[in-house]
Amino acid sequence: MTSLSFELTIGILKIFSFVVPVLVSVALLVYLERKVLGAVQLRKGPNVVGPFGILQSFADVLKLLTKENLLPSSSNKFLFIFAPMLTLILSLIAWAVIPISSTYVIANINIGILYLFAVSSFGVYGVIIAGWASNSKYPFLGALRSAAQMISYEVSIGFVIITVLICVGSLNLIDIVESQKNMWFAIPLLPMFVIFIISALAETNRLPFDLPEDEATLVAGFFTEYSSISFGLFFLAEYANMILMSSLTVILFLGGWYPPIDIFPLNAIPGIFWFIIKVFLILFVFLWVRATFPRYRYDQLMRLGWKIFLPFTLIWVVITSAFLFYFGLLPN
Amino acid sequence: MFLVGSFFLFAAFLITTCIFVIFSKNPVNSVLFLVLAFLNSTFLFILIGAEFVGIILAIVYIGAVAILFLFVVMMLDIQVTTLMFNIKRYIPLALLFAGIILAEIIYLTVFKTSKDNLDTFIRSKNNTEQIGDVLYTEYFIDFQLSGIVLLLAMIGAIVLTHVYRPTIKRQNIESQNSTTAEDRVKLVKIKSGEGIKDD
Repeated sequence: MTSLSFELTIGILKIFSFVVPVLVSVALLVYLERKVLGAVQLRKGPNVVGPFGILQSFADVLKLLTKENLLPSSSNKFLFIFAPMLTLILSLIAWAVIPISSTYVIANINIGILYLFAVSSFGVYGVIIAGWASNSKYPFLGALRSAAQMISYEVSIGFVIITVLICVGSLNLIDIVESQKNMWFAIPLLPMFVIFIISALAETNRLPFDLPEDEATLVAGFFTEYSSISFGLFFLAEYANMILMSSLTVILFLGGWYPPIDIFPLNAIPGIFWFIIKVFLILFVFLWVRATFPRYRYDQLMRLGWKIFLPFTLIWVVITSAFLFYFGLLPN
Repeated sequence: MFLVGSFFLFAAFLITTCIFVIFSKNPVNSVLFLVLAFLNSTFLFILIGAEFVGIILAIVYIGAVAILFLFVVMMLDIQVTTLMFNIKRYIPLALLFAGIILAEIIYLTVFKTSKDNLDTFIRSKNNTEQIGDVLYTEYFIDFQLSGIVLLLAMIGAIVLTHVYRPTIKRQNIESQNSTTAEDRVKLVKIKSGEGIKDD
């Protein structure tokens, strides 16, 4: 019995060792975003709370916590409160299978990549339930847009993942990273890498694809009616999802915890630092894209997903498998 | 003990959520309970060690099919009361399908294979690899046939819903992107007192 409780304690500590850094890095990511946007637009960004304004997001969270949580009288009360919780839960349980280094992972399961794909496809429920339960027109429009958008881009994400899996021959995330020891998949599969990053932007509802929350036409999209901490949960979940999709990009294409070249000063640095640096770079790309590109129109978004990405990724799956088969490179 | 306990827990949840799917007054709640039912059947698959089938069920049914259901149901303006009295009409059909599925289960479990056999078969190898081994070899024809059925259904749905309307204005993205400033803006010198001649 003692061994069971011991294992349980270790498990809970392991979970905390993932969740707490994720939540803290969400706060820092929000700060980073405001600083990057400020730099791009030639302003200072937050610079008052704490040194260089680094405590700004913590102050914002405290402010949100002290506000009143409003429930619209015509809303479906249970689902209205449940939706933000679901969104945050889904963005956190995905971390159960993310390997930070070759040994440091909560659950090393055989179908890790499918689990991640499933959890990220559930993410749309939070948005769609929030939009419907608010019983108000702007959230509802946001929810409908989000459902169509996320399903469209999941298709191309699925094909990109299949291309990588053909090269690896395993659904285990650790195997996927270890097969990139000599060459990162971003080099031979460069077009897939680009498509994955763009689809990740659409999947996390980030600019230039943030039509579900498009403030220019829909007030605030699916969370128009949300206030206080229930708004805060959506906010947390969005940024946690960004970090998650960045980690997934790093695992699939940028060789996870491996250094760029396997030589002395680089491979002496622990893998976990390489992982964090790569995730940080992808996140910076997310923010950079936000500052640079205008928002897509809805028909352009659908066209990009169905008429360009879907045929392109389909053809790449065929090309990759034909190439590997012809040169006898298929993994066993 | 733990496995048996979890089986009964998830099975009980599954049946309860299925009952709620049928008897919920609000169709949106029905779809959400359907999602829960799918989730519980995923857990059941994972419990017998078929994690690949379970997670594929979750991806396909929860991640795509149920969202489309929800999408359609949310857009409908259904009067809640008119839905309820129709249920009795479908009972014979429901019983027929239930009977067929029960017969299949009895056939598979009693006559086809003994249970130990199935169990060792499932646990002998990583089940993703097992499906990969047989899908394109032993079950090639069945696999392709089911693909054709799906293709037919897709084409049918498109034919039924797609109506070509010549009055609708369409956008040609290529021509939009290939326009230059010269196509749109023209600098015209106007003589004083004459105005622009439109040509």
